[in-house]
Amino acid sequence: MRGPLHFWVVIVLLILLHFLLHVGLGIGTRAPDLLTIALLLSARELRMGSAAGLGLFLGLLEDAFSILAFGANAVAMTVVAILGSRTRDLFVGDSFLFLVCYLALGKWTRDLVHWIAAGDGVQAAFVEALLVRSPVAALYAVALGIVAVLFGGILREAPR
Amino acid sequence: MPPYTPENDEGVGRRQLAAAALFLGLAFTSLFMPPDAQRQVGATLRASVLQPFILVQEGLSQNRLRSHEADAMRMRYDSVVGVLSSQSSLVEENVRLRELLELSSRATPEYRAANVVRSGTQGSESMYLLDIGSRDGVRVNSPVVGRDGLVGVVREVRANSALGVDWTHPDFRVSAMTADGEVYGMIETRRGEYREDDRLLLNGAPYHVAIEDGALIVTSGLGGIYPRGIPLGRVHSLAEADAGWRKSYWLEPAVRPGSMTQVLVAVGEVEEEHSALAADGPGQGPSVVDRSDFWPGDTIPLERTGEWTGERPASGADSIRDSAGEG
Repeated sequence: MRGPLHFWVVIVLLILLHFLLHVGLGIGTRAPDLLTIALLLSARELRMGSAAGLGLFLGLLEDAFSILAFGANAVAMTVVAILGSRTRDLFVGDSFLFLVCYLALGKWTRDLVHWIAAGDGVQAAFVEALLVRSPVAALYAVALGIVAVLFGGILREAPR
Repeated sequence: MPPYTPENDEGVGRRQLAAAALFLGLAFTSLFMPPDAQRQVGATLRASVLQPFILVQEGLSQNRLRSHEADAMRMRYDSVVGVLSSQSSLVEENVRLRELLELSSRATPEYRAANVVRSGTQGSESMYLLDIGSRDGVRVNSPVVGRDGLVGVVREVRANSALGVDWTHPDFRVSAMTADGEVYGMIETRRGEYREDDRLLLNGAPYHVAIEDGALIVTSGLGGIYPRGIPLGRVHSLAEADAGWRKSYWLEPAVRPGSMTQVLVAVGEVEEEHSALAADGPGQGPSVVDRSDFWPGDTIPLERTGEWTGERPASGADSIRDSAGEG
């Protein structure tokens, strides 16, 4: 575990990498959702208000490319940031297993809130969106998130 | 991770709660803002924070185009030169015949090539960025076409970029007809169980006329947004037949928007074309520029202007919910 500056550098790199993969390289949905991973990791280190502000900002960045449901990402990311920040009071530990579950559930929750906020005209079928695609996307994002955490050296405890 | 520091200060906790509520309120506000304000926020972010990523995508697209498609473009160029050289006399003949018939000159919109940038983020499935904008003549409602047919329409325009939606957008509508001009209807989008299953539906076709499977459906030109004759798709099957007064058909789309990387954007004034051609004289009806000759492989009959009588149903005009209108 290195210092807080190192942690935030890794977070910024994750955010930049997310937009580089999705927008810069045009990989689209084949690229993992590193933005949510960065937000979830940040939320554990921020107070609730700051986390919500960061979530709103990152959500609006995603919504800049959304013409169908503008604001859905902002709501989803803000809600997830608040919940992520509140987990500090519920789960103190930072074990490897907790991190995996936290990131996977956080990503799925983000997709759930986005699905609800997107509205009828836009949202895909519930089964497809939240029971098929979202878990797969969550696992994909978590795998890449764990790699980033391990190689970025921002995990407090050694993996078990 | 940095050391955990519990929030034991009640005052700080309250302020944080208030801040979180404020940001959450702002998030919900962004969700329910007027569409114009949403577009403004999105455009500002794209032109500032996200601009470097968009530039990277545009640069990559340009390089990919130059490196991989140079040979193909050379072949197409040679083919076009060959066709033009063999048809150059037709232009002169056309002008002469129109003069004989006392018809005004046909307005011919220009088409500008553009690269398509898709972000792939959630909620952006039906939209794309174009690397040309108002400086290139692109306007709101400029049609976007691909090699195989209609891709979509431009919704927002900036100086050097534009934002468009493709036909999978829930609000997409276009007036359509069979290639022979016999049957008219309205094209709508129908969501499939999966996004790959999104299809087009030709709605409002007359009940007494049967359209055969495989028939080509093209834009009718009604409504003044899309030029006439742009392929939309081919009839796949009968979707519905309402008690003796109308039918609807499923279409196999001519264009799969997700695979589009380069498109053409009409930068001419379609409505002006409409006006110019409407001035051709009585009996011409709501004629607009026919673009069927752009897709000669689809057996679209050329120049059927004389069949346009202006008696088409008013509901046949194409439309997409305009930003300034319904939103």
